[in-house]
Amino acid sequence: MLYEAEEVLGLIPQREPVVMVSRLIDASGNRCHTGLSVTADNYFIEDDGLMAETGLIEHIAQSASAFAGHRYRMQSLPAPIGYIGEVRKFHCYRRPAIGDELQTEIIFEAEAEGVTLMSATTSCNGEAVADTKMKIFVEPVR
Amino acid sequence: MTREEIVSKVNAVLAEEFEVEESVISPDADIRKTLELDSLRLVDLISAIQVAFGVKVTTEELHLLTKFSDLYDYIEKNL
Repeated sequence: MLYEAEEVLGLIPQREPVVMVSRLIDASGNRCHTGLSVTADNYFIEDDGLMAETGLIEHIAQSASAFAGHRYRMQSLPAPIGYIGEVRKFHCYRRPAIGDELQTEIIFEAEAEGVTLMSATTSCNGEAVADTKMKIFVEPVR
Repeated sequence: MTREEIVSKVNAVLAEEFEVEESVISPDADIRKTLELDSLRLVDLISAIQVAFGVKVTTEELHLLTKFSDLYDYIEKNL
């Protein structure tokens, strides 16, 4: 485990109640794994007790942000601010429920002029929950 | 991989990725105009070439490639 609980907040700009990453499990090269414990007070839990699909997109985006923050930190640079530029081919196979432990693999596939193309796969106990491709624009650190 | 195979694969991959007809991709056509490349889509071209051919094109190199024939040449040289 690389970062957990409060330590993750040093990698991403979000704060409660919209923090959607519980831990950065590992990171190597262009890929990482993150985790999210889905609790009853999660901002994206709806009346039926399941997470809104937008919560999954937010979790994936924050996972990428945490990964980028970790990579910058390894170079002794402050975590950058990232913006979602595009979400493509988003598939939600099932909405997460309270008590689920989500695990997400992020792969940074290519980068050009500050835009990073990434793919993400979210699962729960080996069952596919969602996948997507996303473009993140990272604001240069000044 | 022969030149013809490279041309055929590039055209098929880019037509699918950028949702254009393969017929609009010709050696003398302008890459940016044909694929309507903007700063967000540039990274899709780099990724598509990398996945299809295992060839990494840097942003700087990509700016020097204006026609599809330049792209075919680059891939052929770097395969």
